Amino acid sequence: MLPINSMETEIINDRTGRKKNFIILTFILSAFIIYFSIMSMIGPGRKLAQIKSEYGIKPIGNNLPDERIFSDSTYLKLLKEKSFLQSRLAMAGTDSIYLTINLTDSVVNIEISGVVVHKAKISRNSASKMLIKGNENLILSMLSSPFKISNDYSTIKKEPVMIKMAPKDTSEYKPDIMPDTSVTIPVNFILEMTNGTRIYVYQEENEKFFSRIKLSFFDIKERLRDTWGSLRSLALFKVPEYHPFIKIWLSRSDAKIIYRAIPKHGQVGIYR
Amino acid sequence: MGNNKILNKGLQPDTEKSIEKNIHIRNNEIIKIINSLWQKVRPGRSFLQDLNRHIVTIISILIFLFITIFLFYFVPALQEIASVEKTDITNDKEFKKEVSYKTQISQITRDIQHLSRKYKAYTSGQSYIVINTSDNRFFLFRNKRILREGFCSSGSYTLLQTQEDKQWIFKTPKGKYRIQGKTTNPVWKKPDWAFVEEGLPIPPKDDYTRFEYGVLGDYALSIGDGYLIHGTIYKRFLGMPVTHGCVRLNDEDLEIIFKTLSIGSKVYIF
Repeated sequence: MLPINSMETEIINDRTGRKKNFIILTFILSAFIIYFSIMSMIGPGRKLAQIKSEYGIKPIGNNLPDERIFSDSTYLKLLKEKSFLQSRLAMAGTDSIYLTINLTDSVVNIEISGVVVHKAKISRNSASKMLIKGNENLILSMLSSPFKISNDYSTIKKEPVMIKMAPKDTSEYKPDIMPDTSVTIPVNFILEMTNGTRIYVYQEENEKFFSRIKLSFFDIKERLRDTWGSLRSLALFKVPEYHPFIKIWLSRSDAKIIYRAIPKHGQVGIYR
Repeated sequence: MGNNKILNKGLQPDTEKSIEKNIHIRNNEIIKIINSLWQKVRPGRSFLQDLNRHIVTIISILIFLFITIFLFYFVPALQEIASVEKTDITNDKEFKKEVSYKTQISQITRDIQHLSRKYKAYTSGQSYIVINTSDNRFFLFRNKRILREGFCSSGSYTLLQTQEDKQWIFKTPKGKYRIQGKTTNPVWKKPDWAFVEEGLPIPPKDDYTRFEYGVLGDYALSIGDGYLIHGTIYKRFLGMPVTHGCVRLNDEDLEIIFKTLSIGSKVYIF
């Protein structure tokens, strides 16, 4: 048996060790949080610089255009129209299905070769400050060409394929039963663009508990994916990529129609 | 007075010590009681050790939650604060009087008019049909106005697989198509999958069993690659995705569409 004094010393040593560990852990966590925050906050600046280098004002010959025009309200209003038309025309040139999102009029259109085949009302929307309040000329230049979808995440399948094994003979044959149209899986999806922008489409009907839970899981999953991407960049001492976003809320049926209609690597035109 | 003070001072430490001792004894007793009760719940475990362990666990969970919320919600919010570079929109009247300004504005206005004309040219005044495969509805347009709308049936998205790894997917193609042919009283030449689906042996190419009469309705409009817009005997399925890729319509709608659309008319499927 240890003498009382040595037992007390051991307890005190144990406590001091634990305290030391706690302080080290707190320090590491705080340092990580500060590092993560600073690097993440550098992200938007990097993105803006990238957009600037791609879409910024370039001199015509040796002359730079009069910069006052780029802050004139009339010019910007017209530039907005022009950018959207340019983007739509570029998409109409292909025979593919594309999407146009008009944030000013709160309308989403599915179009094919310049023909509006479906119109949906946006019940509410929100977007990155960079896209809404950012440098007008720069953003409008960016919006003058269509955004291309690189990836998508959704709560529903793009193609609801059902696998059916062929019967070996007529005795195994069963005629098709009526498809179940009552399935009401909530429809939420994210379209990730090649330029880093993300378009979030949510169904507006979320009053059901199941829909809310499903939406929460979808949201957490997306944030987890995003944070994981940032952590990977940080591990390589790189600035995490900032993703400007547009979030729109539509009726479930419209959200479903849009998701199923738009091709996997389709195009999107934005008017804001 | 002086003596009294000395006496009081002399008594105080003793009283404090005895109070402390009492508290200590009471605390020990409480701990002993709790420990003895705890022993009944978790034999061989000390209450204080377990309490300590639980506190550490709770603190760890709280730290984890804090970090998660911070990374998931605070960092994106911080990024939004950092992302703004505003444009000061002006309305300089003096600048508006300058020739260079007027030239720029007239140039951009001309550009818009040109682009707008180009875009409008895509929507012709001719007749065309729009098919919504998600809702299984069709919309027939003439002179940019809806002439008729109603239910249809489109591809079921069934993937038919055989033991020999042959497969067919029954989906309606999406995009822009044109009417390539029009037929009255069409006859269905059953493809291989129609036999495979029913467990029947596949007959030779032009075998008589391949030809079925009356199942496609009175009219059929071809959009290429074997896909047709035709009638149906399964009218109760209209509005549902049940076909092998063709678009089925009821008799009245089909007749109007057949008479409105001509060869070369556009078909938009989404």
